[in-house]
Amino acid sequence: MTIIGAAPATGRRKTPPVRGRRRWTFDRISLFVVFLVLPFLGYLTLVIYPFLQAAYYSLTSWSGFTATQDFIGLDNYTRLLGDATFLKAVGNSLTLLVVVPLLTLVLSFALACLVTFGGSSTGGVRGLRGSSFYRVVSFFPYIVPAIATGIIFAAVYDPSAGLLNGILTSLGFGSAEDYPWLGDASTAMAATVAVIVWTFVGFYTVLFVAAIKGIPAELFEAARLDGAGRFRTAVSIAAPSMTGALRSAYIYLGIFALDAFVFVSVLNPGGGPQNSTLVITQQIYSTAFRQGRFGLACAMGVLLAVITFVFVGIVFAVGKLLGREKKAEVLR
Amino acid sequence: MSRETEIVPTAVARRRFLRLATFGVALPVGLSACAAGGSSSGDASSAPPAGEVSEDNPFGVAKDSTVDAVIFDGGYGTDYVTFASAAYTAAHGGEVKVTPSTQISQQMQPRFVGGNPPDLLDNSGANLIGLATIAAQLTDLTSLVDAKNLEGTVIKDSLYPGMLADDMYDGKMVQLNYVLTVYGLWYSKTLFDANGWTPPTTWAEALALGEKVKAAGKYLFCWGKEAATYYLTLAIDSAIKEGGDDVRKALGNLEADCWSLPAVQAVLTAMGTAVSSGYFRPGGAGTQFTAAQAQWSQAQEAVLYPSGSWIENEMKDQTAADFQMTGIPAPAATASASKPAEALHASAGEPFVVPSKAKNAAGGLETLRIMLSKEAATNFAKTKLSSTIVKDTVPSDAFGSTALASQVAMLDKAGEDSFTHNFVDIYGLNTDMLVVWNSFLSGELDVAGLTSGMQDITDKVREDDSVVKVSVS
Repeated sequence: MTIIGAAPATGRRKTPPVRGRRRWTFDRISLFVVFLVLPFLGYLTLVIYPFLQAAYYSLTSWSGFTATQDFIGLDNYTRLLGDATFLKAVGNSLTLLVVVPLLTLVLSFALACLVTFGGSSTGGVRGLRGSSFYRVVSFFPYIVPAIATGIIFAAVYDPSAGLLNGILTSLGFGSAEDYPWLGDASTAMAATVAVIVWTFVGFYTVLFVAAIKGIPAELFEAARLDGAGRFRTAVSIAAPSMTGALRSAYIYLGIFALDAFVFVSVLNPGGGPQNSTLVITQQIYSTAFRQGRFGLACAMGVLLAVITFVFVGIVFAVGKLLGREKKAEVLR
Repeated sequence: MSRETEIVPTAVARRRFLRLATFGVALPVGLSACAAGGSSSGDASSAPPAGEVSEDNPFGVAKDSTVDAVIFDGGYGTDYVTFASAAYTAAHGGEVKVTPSTQISQQMQPRFVGGNPPDLLDNSGANLIGLATIAAQLTDLTSLVDAKNLEGTVIKDSLYPGMLADDMYDGKMVQLNYVLTVYGLWYSKTLFDANGWTPPTTWAEALALGEKVKAAGKYLFCWGKEAATYYLTLAIDSAIKEGGDDVRKALGNLEADCWSLPAVQAVLTAMGTAVSSGYFRPGGAGTQFTAAQAQWSQAQEAVLYPSGSWIENEMKDQTAADFQMTGIPAPAATASASKPAEALHASAGEPFVVPSKAKNAAGGLETLRIMLSKEAATNFAKTKLSSTIVKDTVPSDAFGSTALASQVAMLDKAGEDSFTHNFVDIYGLNTDMLVVWNSFLSGELDVAGLTSGMQDITDKVREDDSVVKVSVS
């Protein structure tokens, strides 16, 4: 650790004169322009500027269709905090934020373990028979565009003509006849989550397979010689060795779950029974384009941004705490 | 991988934090952040007519000017506007250039902000712009309906009665709804005749019919999740017939306790009985609405469906052979209703607007004048099997359409007893009300729950000072 940390320091002491001499060469300037200035300008105009613009609009009563805006201070935020429908949407988004990554990661981690070291316990460490086939098949749902997935599942969940109720009733579950999976407040959210998880499991399985393959095979062999079963190997060898992949996956999935616009708006365009699947992004869309209240919609967008920042912050903080514990363990 | 994270200094970790965070946030915020910085020059707004005003050119259309028309490309298509282009070219040179769109709000927003809106806009479909949002930027169309059509009749005298009622906003005629829409209950005449059923004129009769229909193994009604509020329209229509114009005004003005008025409660209670008696086909809250409508028009599992007269055109590919789709006005609650049994909810749809900043507003008005004349209106009725708001364009055989024939018959019988209401659309309440109505029709919410749910939604709008109210009289 100290050696690695010291290396750049010595380098830094040596470089200043070199840097000074080479500062204005064409090579250096073109490098800066192409790799720093241009992307930064793009970032400024396409990301930062819209950000600031949205933040400003959130303080106005802009309808979206006029050239000027009236400044109204924090009124939009006060309104949102007292708006039961919006708070419901925030609650639903947070539910998705917790449930979707958790389910997806657990399932895809389990699948990844099965196809990498879940196979026969004699001979070399390997996955289940036909695991390369499973790996390819599990990736299929991810290739289907989200909108198509939504439409397909809307048909699958159809109360009278849907595949799901057809299978359930033929299996003898009479109560499934005409049951509106997406139309009942108690099942609509679960049905939606199932679709999202179905879509993403395969992709993260492939990601985790790669992460597991990056762990030295000797570790798995050693663990098996020491008598560790498959579950113990997954929990004590695979998982701790791929915390980086798990954390990145968690953040990407979380950010996706906060959006989820495509899936919820295809499955239940109106927010679902008793608004049980209404999410913030849907609310932003209808407030802006249906009700013509862009100012208010921008305020929602800003709040969503804040929630996202907080979420990513928490994930990193938790990761750091766990990392510190692990280090302490190693020292002991 | 864990090794890498250990040696990464905190600055890099923070940078990655920002990168990840901004990546995910950019989309939702970007969605609501659209540039409004465009020019606000209103140069064309008060421009005088470029052409000479005359009897044949009441709005002073400039010679050889082009009309930029953005038309919603929905059930009626856009060819009926293109049709008007021929007459426009003949009279003024130039042409009506039609741009079809299904994303009216999204596509027109930057044009309104930038001060270069189209000359004529058909503000319709799922993505229409809320009227209140753009009302201040629209031309008053009074001069249009006061003008003479191509046959020389003053336009407002050539229309069915009451058709301009929904066009007013804040004392100004901001839009022109072009297509006549009749609301009621629709059924298969063939099916009813075969079973000896008669269509109900009161809710008591409807419930009695429900029992007979149930005995025949069918349902009285069915519904789809996006269209549960068709039953709201039906309920309002029935309540207005029962209680008269006082009910219409109370609801339209979002009065306190308007959903508890006796006439409204009588209708809702009857509907509640229909739900609890199992006259509604179950599962509607999870069924896509056209699939639900096919349960009525194709599978005939349900026998009545409340809708506007667009239903025939909408379901024409999914209607059983020899269906003979026929409409009746919404039933009143009792036989002693305030309005006659023939009283009908008739209004107009497909709102056309002419933005006041349009480069060729006169051309926009002229296009509408052509569309409101005999030839174009008859062409619409013939090709779309729907009537425009122009009277006497549908022959008695109704081009072979039973639904269109019954529309015209209902209108003739209703005479001056036609009424309309549009507070649900004006205040954009449909999304919120759908939620309550899906619960009610599923049986999860009783009449009291429905009443308080509806009252909460209307109260919230009434007490919101930021919403401009439209007074109903």
